[in-house]
Amino acid sequence: MKNKILNIKSLSKSYGAFKVTDEITIDLHFDEIHALIGPNGAGKSTLIKQIVGSVKHDIGSIILDQEDITDLTDIERAKIGISRTFQVSSIIPQFSAIDNIILSLLDKSNKTFQLFKSVKNNKELYLNAKKILREIELQEKSDVSASDLSHGDRRKLEVGLALAMDPKVFLFDEPMAGLDESGTNMMINLFKKIKSNSPILLIEHDMDAVFALADRVSVINYGKIVATGTVDEIRQNELVRDVYLGYEI
Amino acid sequence: MIIEKFLNKWILFFLLLIPILGFVLEEPYYITLTTKVIILGIAGIGLNLALGYCGLISFGHAAFFGLGGYVTGILSFHALNSELMFSWPFIASGSSNMLVIWPIVIITSALLSFIIGVLSLRTTGVYFIMITLAFAQMLYFFAISWPNYGGEDGLSIYMRNSFPMVNTMDPTTFYMICLFWLLLAVFISAKLINSSFGMAFQAVKQNEERVKSVGIETFKVKLLVFIISGTITGLAGSLYTDLNRFVSPSVLNWQMSGEIMVFVILGGIARLYGPLVGAAFFIVLEQTLGVYTENWQFWLGLILILEILYVRSGILSLFEKKLKYEK
Repeated sequence: MKNKILNIKSLSKSYGAFKVTDEITIDLHFDEIHALIGPNGAGKSTLIKQIVGSVKHDIGSIILDQEDITDLTDIERAKIGISRTFQVSSIIPQFSAIDNIILSLLDKSNKTFQLFKSVKNNKELYLNAKKILREIELQEKSDVSASDLSHGDRRKLEVGLALAMDPKVFLFDEPMAGLDESGTNMMINLFKKIKSNSPILLIEHDMDAVFALADRVSVINYGKIVATGTVDEIRQNELVRDVYLGYEI
Repeated sequence: MIIEKFLNKWILFFLLLIPILGFVLEEPYYITLTTKVIILGIAGIGLNLALGYCGLISFGHAAFFGLGGYVTGILSFHALNSELMFSWPFIASGSSNMLVIWPIVIITSALLSFIIGVLSLRTTGVYFIMITLAFAQMLYFFAISWPNYGGEDGLSIYMRNSFPMVNTMDPTTFYMICLFWLLLAVFISAKLINSSFGMAFQAVKQNEERVKSVGIETFKVKLLVFIISGTITGLAGSLYTDLNRFVSPSVLNWQMSGEIMVFVILGGIARLYGPLVGAAFFIVLEQTLGVYTENWQFWLGLILILEILYVRSGILSLFEKKLKYEK
């Protein structure tokens, strides 16, 4: 238990008779990237939404760093250290890239309700935001409006917003979708670097990236976890090959 | 942004020029008319914070405008009649001193904004519009049914409230008082918009789910914006009562809420001086077309339709485009 930062027990969610997640038990260790893979519609994104609190679960519990957060709201969960990216880029379109990052820094630095001090004059926020932009290789585009960024750059900005929160755990929902090779490599290196501070629960369809990154992999199908293990164990698992990976792998 | 700042300076220059023009032309009427524009502009600046910058489509800002108006009227009414307002739980008499009235207006408007905000901000979209409208209409019918303060006929206060060492009955003096409040409202809005709090409420307008996901309590952010917005509009209501030396339930009616919204849309949503320009345009239309027809608002409707279809960012954006072209 002590080496688990996030512990999800028997989490279930149904819409009528349809069980989107069915008694999911999954955990995330310190220093770990735990990948969650499965076919479309398997319940991966719903699980992320349940963990962050934007979708209420029917039964089950969520423990973060030995604290039961099951009854906390989505905002409370974000405050105590759950940071996410969205499956479809969800940024502030009329803000520049750097302003998006600064927005993400506000709560941590207790500056949300600073009413009259110009945010442009806050050097500390700007320096921190620039540092994050450098990490996601967007420093050259810091003043570009987020709506004018390419798809790949928006994905990077999504990750930047999560990084800025300096959370206890990251929940990344397909962060590499639509990235070119260099973008994917940048993300892989970044994730390897940050996982020691904040472990990552990663949903990703790019299997090369998953196998390059993950310490453990869980496979979800029809809302149930069908297997959990190391990359090699998952590669060898007959059932997993059946439901998701295919025999050619 | 640079062009908007340039335009704002011209608007300010023009506002400072008005008293001089009125004096030179010996036409105090224009000063009074511009005072009305300024007051309605302040009301719009209040609404613009909630609607323009935070995306809260309040259709009940007449509640704050009317409350400010009635608080001013009632305090003044009791002061002039030398009657106590109430004697329990403490003794309260009226006042005709603006320096006493304004803080009371600010406190009551903020309190009403808090109450309406706490209840209505639990909803979004059309439900938010309807609930804010309902609150304003409740106050409207309450004012109509309150005979102590004139009921449907309204309340006359005969003398404009006083300000130490100046004659508020002088149109130029009262104009300068209103101009001060306008500049303060613009200053506060500008400061808020450029602050980290401003960043949060402008982000809420664009993507509330994202703002929540970074740990920002969006309900508190929206509530605080709504309170500041309602308070500024309430203060405008107070000045409006002093301008007319009269307050009636019409300032609480949904039409008033609609008019304040029209000022914001006409001038340009989420533009500092947009509501002032919108109010000016509205009053100019009323004064020019109103000479020919009682139904001048038909033309206002037509202009609004054309603006919403073709120039969504308001009258100010037309000037911006022209300036950009000339550059």
